[in-house]
Amino acid sequence: MQRVAIVGAGGMAGVHGAAYAKMPNVKPVAVVDVIPEAAAKLAGTLGVPSFTNFDEMLKSASPDVVDICTPTPFHKEYAIRAMEARKHVVLEKPMARTLADCRAMIDAANRTGVKFMVAHVVRFFPEFAAIKEQVESGAVGKPAVVRTTRGGGHPGRWFADYDQSGGVILDTIIHDFDWLRTTFGEVDTVFAKGLIDRCLPNLDYALVTLRMKNNVIAHVEGNWAHSTSGFSVKVEVAGDEGLIDFDNKKSVPLVISAPGAGGKETVPQSPLMEDPYYRELKAFIDCVESDTPSPVSGEEGMRAVEIALAAIESIRTGKPVKVGG
Amino acid sequence: MAVKIGVMSFAHMHAYAYTAAVCKLPEARLMGIADHDPGRGREMAEKFETRFIPSYQELLKEDIDAVIVTSENCMHKELTIMAAEAGKHVMCEKPISTNVEDAKAMIDACRKNNVQLMTAFPCRYSPAVIKAREAILAGRIGEVLSIKGTNHGKMPGGWFIDKAKSGGGAVIDHTVHVADLMRWILESEPSEVYAEISNAMFHDKYDDCGMLSITFENGVFSTLDTSWTRPKSFPTWGDVTMSILGTEGVIEVDLFAQSFSLYSDKDMAAMWPGWGDNTDYWLVKDFVSAVAEGRPVSITGEDGLAALAVALAAYKSSDAKAPVKV
Ligand SMILES: NC(=O)c1ccc[n+]([C@@H]2O[C@H](COP(=O)([O-])OP(=O)(O)OC[C@H]3O[C@@H](n4cnc5c(N)ncnc54)[C@H](O)[C@@H]3O)[C@@H](O)[C@H]2O)c1
Repeated sequence: MQRVAIVGAGGMAGVHGAAYAKMPNVKPVAVVDVIPEAAAKLAGTLGVPSFTNFDEMLKSASPDVVDICTPTPFHKEYAIRAMEARKHVVLEKPMARTLADCRAMIDAANRTGVKFMVAHVVRFFPEFAAIKEQVESGAVGKPAVVRTTRGGGHPGRWFADYDQSGGVILDTIIHDFDWLRTTFGEVDTVFAKGLIDRCLPNLDYALVTLRMKNNVIAHVEGNWAHSTSGFSVKVEVAGDEGLIDFDNKKSVPLVISAPGAGGKETVPQSPLMEDPYYRELKAFIDCVESDTPSPVSGEEGMRAVEIALAAIESIRTGKPVKVGG
Repeated sequence: MAVKIGVMSFAHMHAYAYTAAVCKLPEARLMGIADHDPGRGREMAEKFETRFIPSYQELLKEDIDAVIVTSENCMHKELTIMAAEAGKHVMCEKPISTNVEDAKAMIDACRKNNVQLMTAFPCRYSPAVIKAREAILAGRIGEVLSIKGTNHGKMPGGWFIDKAKSGGGAVIDHTVHVADLMRWILESEPSEVYAEISNAMFHDKYDDCGMLSITFENGVFSTLDTSWTRPKSFPTWGDVTMSILGTEGVIEVDLFAQSFSLYSDKDMAAMWPGWGDNTDYWLVKDFVSAVAEGRPVSITGEDGLAALAVALAAYKSSDAKAPVKV
């Protein structure tokens, strides 16, 4: 039985909490947030005490696992404090705003010997896992050009402060950077154009070109601009013997059009017996219980941040940026 | 304690998926495979790293709790009754049988021998269907008025088109899945069926096209296209869809929409590989847990019979050129 404490009681914390509540071998034990009402609300649904002070929580709830869902700038501090208290750590992506912070967390995890996972959930989406499998089985031959799209409207709130969130590149298409490197190998060069420094209110957009070390060219679109019809995710993998084409809007098994809070609403859904967040967190709990390697290591979390920061640097300098030296 | 399972025949291709599910489930154990086609049985036993057992009777003498019956439709009765008399729980492939009498005999034999009979309707384990049903039962779209359903496929060939073994063609093969979903969602029984049936796809002695109009006791009307109208070059095996109209809204369900397109020059084909939940896995898991916990199975023999009755009524209607009572 793993006792789990959740830190930062916002949107993602709610998703994580719901997943833990379904796991027979997990007992949620505490919720921490700087806003007492936010902490109390999620704590209430999980039936656990709420805290505004992290150290107090550690003392009184004594968790085995700390799950950090705060805004990105607070990831490092909580992660390291948890590790030093010998708690296993799950950390939402992006791992951190800087490579130095990533490195500090990796060092702390190594020093303390705790399990550490960066929650790159896209790997646990069955569609992305299935596309990866097809590519690895050679269905499209040797991959040549990969295109991905991710985004919808602007998330607002703290995400609008790009010093905190890193904009659409560090916050959102880091998902695709992680999946691309797990599927096609490491990145060599990044070139990007985007709106990160235009300071347009609630509007960010980026087009990123990656050259992978194995010669694959990837194009990643990140969209925090205009949402025409909800969140859009697309993947195209072109190889010398075939093509894979995925569009989340074309693979919808359920659409409910019914009266809702705001009149008649039409909601497309893609339900799964086990959602990807559940699978991801279960994989981490399993690695803790069976003492096996973390499904997504700190190093891998840092690699994804490195690609995102290279894209931002490329936008700022107008030049291609080499990754990983 | 793991539930010990034997598989009776690999004549139906779903045997692969069910057996793979048994192997994947930590709470189940595959004990052996018997098949009246020993070549096929041996090959499958090797593939699933289990024993080939030369006769069904011998399989039933093994230390097993339950069997999966995936023979030709015409043998469901014989194998199910044999298993029931040996005290084994049964999960039987759909359609439960080729006629009402056989289905009733199977249900009776299982009841008499105190074992459970589950009909394999994997579509009930589609999360889209589960959510649609929840929304309907919660009244989200008001009162349901009609359902437009499809279960298209490719012509499967083999014994599926040998009426003596299958009981019929596309209509018996494809009616039962969606008829079962409709009954489950509406919580009402089919009362009348009208059907247009033809062999316009393959021009042979079996039906390959069926268009059913099914009316339910609660007044809901529906249609169901059961045709084997997907050509060999179609990117996937077929579909299961329902468009459900209510007084307050609409629900569209497309069970296998979770897919992407794959164009492979290796196969010179376009394909739509699915990435959604493996409904066969969740079906077998549910059967296994019902056996383990001694609770009633979720889909009974009676459910299998009720769905079969719709298909049989469709053939009757087509012959009579008139709507018939179910
Ligand atoms: N994996 C995904 O799909 C996904 C999706 C969205 C967000 N995220 C990531 O999850 C993290 C959280 O995002 P969110 O959308 O839940 O944000 P959010 O704004 O909904 O919630 C953040 C919560 O953290 C609290 N908080 C702020 N500072 C804190 C501090 N110092 N200590 C404790 N609590 C603090 C806030 O009060 C708020 O309740 C971010 O790193 C984000 O990038 C991941």
